[in-house]
This record gives sequence, structure tokens and C-alpha cells, in this order.
Amino acid sequence: MPDLNAIKAEAKRLLAEGVVEVVVAFKPGDTPLHPQPAFFTNVDEVENLVYDGLCQNNLATFLTRLPKTKKVGMLVRGCENRSVNALVVEKQKSRENLYLVGIPCEGIIDWRKIVERAGEAVLAVNENNYVVEIETRDEHFTFSKNELLHDSCLRCVHPTPLSADILIGEALPEGNLAIARKAVEEFEAQTIEDKYAWFQKEAERCIRCYACREACPMCYCTECFVDHIEPRWTESGATPAGMQGWHIVRAFHQTARCTDCGACERACPMDIKMTYLTEKLNHDMINKYNFEAGLDTQTLPPFATVTLDDKNRFMA
Amino acid sequence: MNLILEKQALPGLLQSWREQYDVYVPQKMERFSHFMPLTEESVLVTGEPHNTRIPPKALFLPMTETLVKFTRFGGYEDAQQNVQPRVVFGIRPCDAQAIQLLDTSFIQEGYTDPLWLERREKTITIGLGCHQPCHNGFCTTVGYGPFNKSDLDALLTDLGDTYLVETLSEAGEACFQDLSPASDDIYEHALEIQQIAHDQMPVAFETENLKEKLEQNFNSKFWEEVSQSCLGCGVCTFLCPTCFCFDIVDETQRKQRVRNWDTCMFRTYSLEASGHNPRPSRVERTRQRLSHKFVYWLDQVNQIGCTGCGRCVRYCPVGIDIRAMLRQAQTLPFEVSHAV
Ligand code: SF4
Ligand code: SF4
Ligand code: SF4
Ligand code: SF4
Repeated sequence: MPDLNAIKAEAKRLLAEGVVEVVVAFKPGDTPLHPQPAFFTNVDEVENLVYDGLCQNNLATFLTRLPKTKKVGMLVRGCENRSVNALVVEKQKSRENLYLVGIPCEGIIDWRKIVERAGEAVLAVNENNYVVEIETRDEHFTFSKNELLHDSCLRCVHPTPLSADILIGEALPEGNLAIARKAVEEFEAQTIEDKYAWFQKEAERCIRCYACREACPMCYCTECFVDHIEPRWTESGATPAGMQGWHIVRAFHQTARCTDCGACERACPMDIKMTYLTEKLNHDMINKYNFEAGLDTQTLPPFATVTLDDKNRFMA
Repeated sequence: MNLILEKQALPGLLQSWREQYDVYVPQKMERFSHFMPLTEESVLVTGEPHNTRIPPKALFLPMTETLVKFTRFGGYEDAQQNVQPRVVFGIRPCDAQAIQLLDTSFIQEGYTDPLWLERREKTITIGLGCHQPCHNGFCTTVGYGPFNKSDLDALLTDLGDTYLVETLSEAGEACFQDLSPASDDIYEHALEIQQIAHDQMPVAFETENLKEKLEQNFNSKFWEEVSQSCLGCGVCTFLCPTCFCFDIVDETQRKQRVRNWDTCMFRTYSLEASGHNPRPSRVERTRQRLSHKFVYWLDQVNQIGCTGCGRCVRYCPVGIDIRAMLRQAQTLPFEVSHAV
């Protein structure tokens, strides 16, 4: 775990010296399982800042909700940094108005994996050196952190922020792309019927609450396609066509933009798996175009570029 | 009537109801439980987590339902809903209470929703009290409780190897007619268990003057503070057993008029045709959610519109906690109103 005092000191400095107007980070929640995103605007408030493995949100999702010209400081882990980069590429924020406090990330804990193992009456969670101690109303539990990590974090390739303004703690080794691919490869290896059955089982639990959309930094459209009325692009209800339509189009809109942070899955109240779709697209983009979202702040995603020598027939 | 039910006999009893009824019981779905029709293979979930992820309101107000089917040349016909008489077993008291609250909205003279009414009339609800209350619920704080009997046809209390069954209506009695009566001792023992559970629930926030404080601080900075990290998703309201907003949409390709769950937390909920939105940001939307439950419900039916089920606390993706918000609201300034 990075040194919390060092994070706080940096956040205080940024505010005191006027480098930024707000620091986006986390504060304690009402229960240890749910720390809350928080917006610190003065030095005194920063005492309340927390950071641990249960900070499950991708803070970059708040970037497009703050005024574009506001000077923003943000706590970023590997995936968050890449999301911020992707947003800068898409001109949602200029890099000069940002100060990124980077944290080499040991992975985000999936609180549902805790509840599954220890119940919901969790009074305290302590992490130390990849071991998680949990105090509940009636019992004490010890888990290895890996057992509790969110699936996206288990396959993370770039845990260390790539372009933070300062790094708190030592950089971590890069992950292994072969391991990262495993989940997608396993999915691909299924028969087409099994794939569809899997997709149906996941998508058709959807209640269309759009927590996945709201949690995703790359879903920032003022009007999402599902909210559009004239014409209507999808069925409105929680019907198979409506739910499948949402899941397919949501995933496609993420092509070469998703950083596999997993925030969508962690936000879903129905425990729906959906990163297998975006990960498939991510790996297609790597294989076919050698492109990965968020590695820098300049390169446009392949599908966002148009050149005169494009080979597409419809361009001719 | 107070009856005694051996736990071993429960599966058989549930199956026997299937002769007359569609039976719904909480069953495992992924990592949570969900009310689903009972089949021969069904495995009943009665332990933690206490509540089903989706509240049983969905059995009365489905997420999506067809209201009208259009025919050619401008005609239409009402959709048939075809609800069979049914028993819902294992409803927790907070969720049953919520159904009573929703009745006040859907069943009103002159404004009764026929679909809701039919489902209600055809449903027997059998509750399972919470002898080990859940951690994030706060039913007693809002005036209800882990053995609340409101709107149930029978309530079960877990006594270890047996359940005490308190029947609360004729329909409830009929479901358990073959059971033997519970002795006074057993009943006393069950009452004790109920009391202990009740006393275990912490006071999550004070409700005294809460309504006045929220009303008088309508324009307070407080709303900005508590809604800052809100994502504006549908989790807290869709999963709430007392939230009932819906949207009516014409699915022209299907030639159907449908009703879908909707929520005041969505931007599009209050967006008007002109483009104006009277609740332009998450600040106003959060204020609406809380005020509906802790102000407007009281104005309308003199009951708090939250039954303390804890779902919004558990599943809010950014950890916004209604208990914490209301504790903070209690620190707001207010003047005692002397309205008669
Ligand atoms: S789609 Fe999901 S995994 Fe991808 S960037 Fe958005 S929230 Fe993260
Ligand atoms: S968060 Fe889950 S339930 Fe909600 S819209 Fe997304 S996939 Fe559907
Ligand atoms: S669940 Fe949380 S983030 Fe979503 S609308 Fe409710 S308070 Fe906001
Ligand atoms: S407001 Fe929250 S705690 Fe209250 S009934 Fe609704 S979901 Fe349950």
C-alpha cells in the first residue's frame, strides 16, 4: 500500500500552492467496504482523505463532470491514468489543467468477494503486504489479497500510472499480456451457441439502471443512445432485445477507448459480467491495429481517424 | 393462530402449495438471491444475505410490462396479464411493509391501477422474520422492525429446528392448516427472539423533526455536499422496495405501449419536451429522492417512505449512504413549526 501520509501531503501542497482547485480522491464511507469518491477543495479537508484496495471507482469518470477549465488534481492508478489519457486524446480535458498523483496499484478488491466469504457485517478491513484481515460482527478472517481482487485487476498489464506528474511509491512490474489474454481466449474457445448462451445469461439480468455507463469514464455522451427518443435506437424496456441491445452497443462504443478498469462491472447491482466483451474488443485492437487505449495523450484510436488513403470502400 | 412448522417439512409444504398456486421463493442467482417460481429442483435460500437483490415489488410492478397492443387500422386491445393465484414465500418484513406503502399509491379511489390490484389480490405473502438482523438494514429506525407484520398473511420466526408460524389472515391460515398449534411456551420463546432481534438493530439516525429539517433546508448547501459523488444511476431507486416511478413508452416497432421502471435519479426523468429540466443536476435529483421518502410520503400518507431494507446502502456504486446523509441532515438548522 502506498504511504497515505505522502498522498495527503501532496494533495495539501497542490491545494495550498494553488496548483489545482480541487483534488479528486476518496474519503471514508459509512462502512469499510464502501469508501466514497471525494472532492477536496481546501487543505484542512484533506485530513479526511483515504486510499485502500476497496476504493473501487475509476475517478476519471468525474473528469467530464467538472468544468473543462477547472484545474483538477486527481489520484490515479494505472487504469485511471490511461482513462485520463484517453479523455485528453478525445479533447475532454487539456493536460495542462490536470495534475495526476499516481499510485502504483496493487489491485482493487471486489467487495462482493468479501461479502461472499465473510458476510456483510464487516467492521474493519486491514490490508498489509497483499494480506487482507477482516473483522466482522462475529468473526476474524484472513485472505490473500489476490483471492479478493476484481477480475480486471487480476489481468492488469499496466498497474503503474504511465504519465502521472508524481508517483507515490515504487513503480510495480508490468503485467503479462499472455495472462491478460487468457479470459478472452477462454471465451473465444467456446462454441458459438455457448457464447450466445453466456451472453444471454449475463445481459438478460440487466435492469437497465446504467450504473455501468455512469461509472465508466469513457461514457460521457450528454445523450446516450438508449436515451434518444426520435428515432429510438433500442427497445426501451428490460426485454431480451432491449437488454442485449444495450450490452452490445455499449461495448462497441468502447472500442479502443476502454482501459479494462472494470469499474462498470463493479458498479453493476446485478453482478453482470461485461468486461469480457470490451476485453475482446481491446485485444482485437491490439492484434489488428497494435493500439491500446490511454498509453499516451496524442494517438487517436484507429476508429477515430479518417485519412484520404483509407481503404474503406465507402470512402472511395 | 400460532403454529409450529418443522424445518424438514418446509420443502414438502412449499411443493404442496404448487397444486393450487404459483409459488415464488428466494433462490440463488449468481451471487445473490432472487424471487423465482418454485419447481421440483428449486433450492430455497433463507440465510444471508437476507434480502433478495431485486425487491419483491417486481412481482407486482414488473420492470417492463405491456399495457396495450395496437392492431391495424388504429385499433388496440388491452394486454392480458394472466396472473395465476400465487404465494410468495420468504418475504422479509421490510419488503412486505414496502408493498403496503405502494398500495397507498396504486390503490386509490378513482385512481386504482388495475394491473397492480389484480396481482395484489391474487397473491398471498408469507414473511420470514429476521432473527439475525442484517447489518446494513435499519428497519427499526424508520418505525418498522425485523418482525413487522404489516401486509403479510403469515409470519415465520426461526426457532432453530422449527419455525413458529403466526397466521395473520384467512388465506395465511389456509396455507398452514395441517400444522399443530404452538404451545404458549414456544410462543413466549419466539417473542423473546423477536424482541432480541429488534433490540439488536442500532438507531441509524434520529427521525424526530427530520421532515421539518429537510423541508426548511430545501435550498441548503447540504444537498450539494451529499450529492457530489452521485453518478446519477438507477441503483438506489430501482432496488428500493418503495420506489415505484415508471415511464410509459410506445414501442412502435412492436406495436405495443409498455411501462418500464423509471427513476428520478435519471436526467431524462424530469426532462421536459421543451428541453427544460426542472431538476437540472444530481443535486436536485438527490434532494428529490430523499425528500420523497422522508417528506412527501409523510405529507401524503403520514408514513416514512423508506422501510430500512438497506439495499441503497449496499449497492450504491459510490458508497453514498442514506443513513449518513440523514445523520448529516439532522445537524441542519431548523425552526419548530407551529402549523396546526
Ligand atoms: S467499459 Fe468498463 S472496463 Fe472499460 S473503461 Fe469503461 S468502466 Fe472501465
Ligand atoms: S449496471 Fe448492470 S444492471 Fe445496470 S445497466 Fe449496467 S449491466 Fe445493466
Ligand atoms: S445508487 Fe448512488 S450513485 Fe447511483 S443514483 Fe443512487 S446515490 Fe447516486
Ligand atoms: S431508501 Fe434505501 S433503505 Fe430505504 S427502503 Fe429504499 S432501498 Fe431500502
